[in-house]
Amino acid sequence: MPDNPAPDNPAPDDPVPLLRVRDLVHEFRTKEGTLHAVSGVSFDVQPGETLGIVGETGSGKSTLARSIVQAPRPTSGEVIFRGADLVTLHGTRLLQARRHLQMVFQDPFGSLDPKWKVRNLVEEPLIAYRAGDRTTRRRRVNEVLELVGLDPAGHGGRRPRELSGGQAQRVAIARAIALNPALVICDEAVSSLDVLIQAQVLNLFERLRAGLGLSYLFIAHDLALVKQVSDRVAVMYLGKLCEVGPGEAVYRQPLHPYTRALLDSVPGSPQARTAKTIRGEPPSPVHPPSGCRFRTRCPRAEQRCADEAPPMRELAAGHSVACHFPLVQMARAPVRSEEKIGEAPR
Amino acid sequence: MSAPLPDLLAPAEKAKAASARARRSGWTRALRLWIPAGFLILLVAACFIWPHIYPVPKPVGGSVLNAGLPPLSPGHVFGTDPVGNDVFSRILYGGQVSFEVGLAVTAIGLVAGGLLGMAAGYWGGAADTVISRVLDVLIAFPALVLALAIAEGLGPSEVHVIWALAVFSIPATGRIARGATIGLRDQTFMLAARLSGTRGWRVIARHVVPNIMPQLMTFSLLGIGVIIILEGALSFLGLGIPLPEASWGSMIAQGQQSLSASPDLVLIPSAFLFATVLALNLLSDALRERWSL
Amino acid sequence: MTEALLEVTDLRVTFADRGRQIRAVDGVSYPVYAGQTLAIVGESGSGKTVSCRAVIGLLPPSAVITGSARFAGTELVGLTDDQLREHRGANIAMVFQDPARSLNPTMRIGTQIAEAVRTHRRVSKAQAREQAVELLRLVHMPLPERRCEEYPHQLSGGMRQRVMIAIALACRPRLLIADEATTALDVTTQAQIMELLLELQAELGMALMLISHDLGLAASYADEVIVMYAGRIVEQAPAARLFEQVRMPYTQALFEAIPRLERPAHTPLPVIGGRPPDAATRLQGCSFAPRCRRAADDCRAAAPPLAEHEPGHRWACWHPVGVADAG
Repeated sequence: MPDNPAPDNPAPDDPVPLLRVRDLVHEFRTKEGTLHAVSGVSFDVQPGETLGIVGETGSGKSTLARSIVQAPRPTSGEVIFRGADLVTLHGTRLLQARRHLQMVFQDPFGSLDPKWKVRNLVEEPLIAYRAGDRTTRRRRVNEVLELVGLDPAGHGGRRPRELSGGQAQRVAIARAIALNPALVICDEAVSSLDVLIQAQVLNLFERLRAGLGLSYLFIAHDLALVKQVSDRVAVMYLGKLCEVGPGEAVYRQPLHPYTRALLDSVPGSPQARTAKTIRGEPPSPVHPPSGCRFRTRCPRAEQRCADEAPPMRELAAGHSVACHFPLVQMARAPVRSEEKIGEAPR
Repeated sequence: MSAPLPDLLAPAEKAKAASARARRSGWTRALRLWIPAGFLILLVAACFIWPHIYPVPKPVGGSVLNAGLPPLSPGHVFGTDPVGNDVFSRILYGGQVSFEVGLAVTAIGLVAGGLLGMAAGYWGGAADTVISRVLDVLIAFPALVLALAIAEGLGPSEVHVIWALAVFSIPATGRIARGATIGLRDQTFMLAARLSGTRGWRVIARHVVPNIMPQLMTFSLLGIGVIIILEGALSFLGLGIPLPEASWGSMIAQGQQSLSASPDLVLIPSAFLFATVLALNLLSDALRERWSL
Repeated sequence: MTEALLEVTDLRVTFADRGRQIRAVDGVSYPVYAGQTLAIVGESGSGKTVSCRAVIGLLPPSAVITGSARFAGTELVGLTDDQLREHRGANIAMVFQDPARSLNPTMRIGTQIAEAVRTHRRVSKAQAREQAVELLRLVHMPLPERRCEEYPHQLSGGMRQRVMIAIALACRPRLLIADEATTALDVTTQAQIMELLLELQAELGMALMLISHDLGLAASYADEVIVMYAGRIVEQAPAARLFEQVRMPYTQALFEAIPRLERPAHTPLPVIGGRPPDAATRLQGCSFAPRCRRAADDCRAAAPPLAEHEPGHRWACWHPVGVADAG
């Protein structure tokens, strides 16, 4: 039995976030130069909330996820989870701090050791964290397998290659929730699944969220998918966040041109204006454009965009954007502003 | 349906090989595994158990009166050597030596080399550099020269042969283990295991070992064959099992002296050596095929 | 244009796998007309990819193909590898999902395209090289001459897919099959590539077949949509019609399961449980019956035939959605 029950859900306006990421930077050295995978990302995840991160290939979203769990460690920045900065912790202390932080990966089969049986895979975190004796652990494994919709007797003894994609992902989810975590990071967790199975697994995520009080950091490249499961959505491009806000607000009133382009590119969207909203190829993260990184593909770019990188400004309640010429300029003054107010839109 | 559909859409050339393999599957595959395996099991059983349950003439101390008997003589199915020892029993006892040395050296290689290789591959960095250099040094030692030195210095014996050949087997296995571990290291399930809280040596023991074992096993089976041949060579040179103890290698060396008169003294141990190594290679191939499918 | 460019009739494909017979495609018939965009939609295992590869002969030799696929009057089923190779590229070309695996990493782009040109046309190396540049221009590749000198790993996913399309167009095929060609691409790149394909289709008068699991993609870009399940066609209609009025419960389930931007967050997706039937076992009734909300005894007793119940709209269901009957 896990020694800490699920964290209480504090009142919605409790100011202490569950996860606080500040100025996270992750750079890799490659033959061609420094690869700027994540370049100064900051956000909060509140208890009980689901924050979605949307980004395409090269946005750095998966590197971001790995940096948060310190595997590998980021180049710089803070990752404060339940009050402790994971970046500064090592060894056992890091292990203990990370106990309530779990991750589900994209490839359901890749994240399960092919030689292990299902019940051992789910039991692994319980053993590592010494959560109870053998009987307690077995009971918890069965409990958690049933929670995710698997049959402990029928599936427990199988190996991953004997499962379907959806079942394998359920095992991965069972393993992630075995210790009753506070935050689960889903890194493209449903992207490899067929559409019907994907829907089943999404519903499972929702059920677990409601039933166990989980918070999620949900990372994907599909905007509709992310919006479906998230309370707030953050849009990421080439290592930086472009826009963060409530899902509905980002959808109905996108502020950043890239968000607009993403919305327009969704097949079947009523406005098919791709030709006008985005052009060209994504630049390489080894040589990102100066200033605003989106400027090379942005129809609204000006000289200023090349000269200075736009800071993240809150233009509406909880809705921030990093753009010199956002799509909509809100009439009322921003709550927290690092720039002067009221710039005329172009 | 629980198992996912097999990949039905392999390109034509790969698929031709695959369908050819599929055609040979079933009983032919089983035969290719069990014939060499069965042969080896029989041979090992014969060498180790037969002398205890069925009286055979001693391999040493034969009477000169019986010297030089040809094969199929009464009481000596393989004949006798110039000193009067029964060839058949020398084959059996010599086989014991071959298998003992082969298995011991391979076991040492697997354990020591495996541990070193996995540590180097998993942790990388300084540990990898140090261990890899150690393995490089070991593998650079010419096995025969080392065996010569040991034999000269400490006197020839089975144990010394095992040490000498272990110096060769440890880095060979170590390299395979290191490569396999590196290939495994970046797999997502390794990260998932670490995020589950499993640490260090436990990860290696519970995740790396089961996954690289097939590779190590097939390599080691081939290695047994190589070790047996090397032991044979060492004994042939007089650096291995000292006479009058039987060893297939020393039997070949001795038989060389009367090659024209009684070629069977060379042919019989050679044939056993050849058959054993061939069986080990075939078994290793069959296991590799079975485990990678 | 009444004569179909490609006429597939009762196509069946079976594989033998470890003693079992796998029925990947179980009697599929449809026409493809010149200049038309046809989308074949289905989940993995539905048989959509296998049926198209059967037509152009890209299946392993262990596949048993029966039925007919006539391209401009010529029967393709039963042709030898060499005969099919002539059709491939010259008449029918295919673009695959993963350009990283379809392009030779050790050859320059220009060389690969030129090679494709020279497979089907007698031109000199220099001429083939020129045509390669032209083809890259055709697919809107920026700086085509420079691209010709580069290797595949130097290009982005979208650019590699453009190269694949250029190779596929090398000999002006009359039918282009895009097999999940945009699945591995970002949504913005996907939109660009789809626009490119439609533009090329208009310019070259090709027929285009889109194979995808993405119903939304089919909606936006196809004229006609076929939905496959368990090796059979279960619904076929013009795209607009299908999305206005879906008949087959499976198609409806596919629609409902797609996350939609308009839907508020946290609403549970209406979804059906279970999985498609094992391709090795034949069910007596409708193969979707075990998972269908509307299934009744007649569904389990006999498989409904695919028939044109409404003009231009075919489906195979005893109790289709929205039809006033005992369903």
